[in-house]
Amino acid sequence: MLSFILRRVFQSVLVLLVVGLVAFAMFRFVGDPIDTMLGQERTLQDIERLREQLGLNKPFFLQYWDFLVRAVQGDLGISYRQGRPVAEIIVERLPATLELALVSGALALFFGIVLGIFTAIRRDGITANFVMSVSLIGVSLPTFLIGVLLIYGFGVGIDIRIPFTDTVINTGGMPTFGRGDTVDLGWWTTGFATWDGVQSIILPAITLGLYQMTLIMRLVRAEMLEVLRADYIRFARARGLGDRAINFRHALKNTMVPVITVTGLQLGSIIAFAIITETVFQWPGVGLLFINAIQFVDIPVMAAYLMLISVMFVAINLIVDLLYVLIDPRLRVS
Amino acid sequence: MNRYLVASALALATALPAQSETFRWAATTDPQTMDPHAVSSAPVLGFLNNVYEGLVRRGRDMSIEGALAESWEPLPDGAGWRFNLREGVTFHGGEAFSAEDVLFSYERASSEDSDVSSWFAPVSDVVVVDEFTVDILTSSPQPIFPDSIANWMIMDSGWAAENGADRPARDAENFATRNVNGTGAFMVQSRQPDLETVLVPFDGWWGEVEHNVTEAIFTPIQNSATAVAALLSGDIDLIDPVPVQDAARVNDADGVYVLDGIEARVIMLGYAHDHETLLNGDPNIFADVRVRQAVGHAVNVPAILQAIMGGVAEEASQLVSPAMRGYSEAASERPAYDPDLARSLIAEAGADGANFTLSCPNDRYLNDEAVCQAIVAMLAQVGLNATLDAMPVSNYWPELREDNFDMYLLGWSPGTFDAEHPIRFLVHTNGERLGTWNFGGYSNPRIDELLPLIQSEIDDSARQAMLDEAAQIIQDDAVYNTMYVQPLLWGVRDGIELTQRPDNFFILRWVTVGAEN
Repeated sequence: MLSFILRRVFQSVLVLLVVGLVAFAMFRFVGDPIDTMLGQERTLQDIERLREQLGLNKPFFLQYWDFLVRAVQGDLGISYRQGRPVAEIIVERLPATLELALVSGALALFFGIVLGIFTAIRRDGITANFVMSVSLIGVSLPTFLIGVLLIYGFGVGIDIRIPFTDTVINTGGMPTFGRGDTVDLGWWTTGFATWDGVQSIILPAITLGLYQMTLIMRLVRAEMLEVLRADYIRFARARGLGDRAINFRHALKNTMVPVITVTGLQLGSIIAFAIITETVFQWPGVGLLFINAIQFVDIPVMAAYLMLISVMFVAINLIVDLLYVLIDPRLRVS
Repeated sequence: MNRYLVASALALATALPAQSETFRWAATTDPQTMDPHAVSSAPVLGFLNNVYEGLVRRGRDMSIEGALAESWEPLPDGAGWRFNLREGVTFHGGEAFSAEDVLFSYERASSEDSDVSSWFAPVSDVVVVDEFTVDILTSSPQPIFPDSIANWMIMDSGWAAENGADRPARDAENFATRNVNGTGAFMVQSRQPDLETVLVPFDGWWGEVEHNVTEAIFTPIQNSATAVAALLSGDIDLIDPVPVQDAARVNDADGVYVLDGIEARVIMLGYAHDHETLLNGDPNIFADVRVRQAVGHAVNVPAILQAIMGGVAEEASQLVSPAMRGYSEAASERPAYDPDLARSLIAEAGADGANFTLSCPNDRYLNDEAVCQAIVAMLAQVGLNATLDAMPVSNYWPELREDNFDMYLLGWSPGTFDAEHPIRFLVHTNGERLGTWNFGGYSNPRIDELLPLIQSEIDDSARQAMLDEAAQIIQDDAVYNTMYVQPLLWGVRDGIELTQRPDNFFILRWVTVGAEN
């Protein structure tokens, strides 16, 4: 058991090293940060001096090595664009992304499970089929478009005239961008403490969670249908148990096992996919930070973000693997 | 900082009418620093113009007027300039402004760590004559020196020393990166980089207040669709820019309008003058002036402006727009669109059917890639086969520096608002300090001879004559093929009055928030 864990941890570290190497190799194609850092009146001397200062004229592997040595000590370098320590910037921006991911995840889970159960129980109902058709939109529309549509529908708003009257209702009024008023707790900024902040998170959370919601909904529905065909459900019916007891006490319990696994794995993608949503809503999280960094060729920020995301994925996978081993004795390597 | 905030908040509460006018504006990029000497870029200098001030400043029509200096006069024999400083000016922190601060700001801005040190290249010394008189000595006569330092902002020497910000920090942070202590009409109340910067009026400002803003909030919004939505929904009062393709829609919407003008930026095509061969190994057709002239006649600028720029840009005949000092009236005609003439010039030069690459940025200028696509199609009609190579600007400049181009797109906005500027950077023979953006390696002894003469000519008409000569040479030689001056498009909420300046700086002290807000 111990050797298995050690081996998995060792593999994880190897994965991180490779990710870092690939990321660093990619940065060379992103361009040259020097031009974005200096004004139009710079001389060739200025260019050379700054290159020297940033260590950009060192060989590629040496630059990577420097980054690793510093990163291990917790020093992620200085952002080229803001001139501030990268670690400080990431700590500042992480709460926005995590709150957004949390709310999206909660929305996706709640609505996904409720609608999944509903569409499974009422398999032939009109409403259930309608929900299933609409859910295709969630799967097939790009995040970017969903975001823009929501902004125009509920931020800018559409004027709807009530028939036969002169009353016009505007569907808008939601914040169109940003986090609204946040409260700084010192180590965390939260948007949950103000009405403005709560309003601001709704549209981006729907945008980010819609795909996950449809995924969970379809998964729950499929599992539920599977379970409802099982023998023990038939027996339960034969015993004369009511619909509610069967659906919610017996069937749902067994449906939830794979759902929980998938949800855990999806949490990583929610954080990684937040990039697009954050860009559309000007949401000040790490995703937007990363997009800014790419445009500016802010190598320290790009490197830190990619490492952060890969550490997260590797950690989630590691935990899931270890949990399986704990749960299922058959997986234990003899 | 907080001490001053409390004091000013109290002062505001008592001095102003109960009406509070919050003004919100958005642009695509956040100023990366609050240090006026660390980064020479339009977003930074434009923003800081609201909080810091220079000896001189630009008015609504770009003319130079006094700011921290009340008057200035050239010293005898072209030895430099004397600035007579304004008395009774205080910084946001309450420190008094004097000649000492000017000397300190000169040392700070001309240091090696500064990104604006090139403004002081002709300066040999700065002498404090008395508390309110400063002599700036130059190594040669500098007729437009006062014009060239409108964005040189003055910082308080005591404040900088106290907080360890004696020198600008470029690849690290110091106190001046996020804290501001200027003399401007507004002060920074709070600053969250990339998120939100809040400005409030400085009640100790020396000037006459023309605005009615009590609080101004700046937020960067990158995505243009989001910015337009924020304007339409009323979350934002001004956005810069409005995408060309959305301009008509914004204008038709209720409660908002588009304010358009002409920027100082001229968009042009450049050529590989000194390359032996093209990138594909063929002989370099652009070494032949007839081919360069042919391109000038082949590109249908009016059509580009109509189709891609929404009809709001102006043709450009030379490296500067008519709004700039030293614009040459004699060279005000752009080569006419004439495909037949272009074809015959190409035939004469034997360049018919030539294949080459047109390099182009896709995220630097307004609709840059679309313009390049149009140019490729127009060149095809006269028998030149261009292949478009579009890339992000972060890859673009290194490619140009390494000579990986045949023909390229370039935009230039002269920092000094004077015709000498592009000659210095784009046309003079490429070297250590001059011609640093002359990627094509054009070299003309007469231009190199004219430039220092232009730089030191005190007499305006003699200077203009030389600028005219240079403009004529550049036009005849088709060194660059200037196409148009980029438009400025701001989306504004109804009832807000403001002034749009060609340098695309947003000046808050000219904003009046109307009653319907």
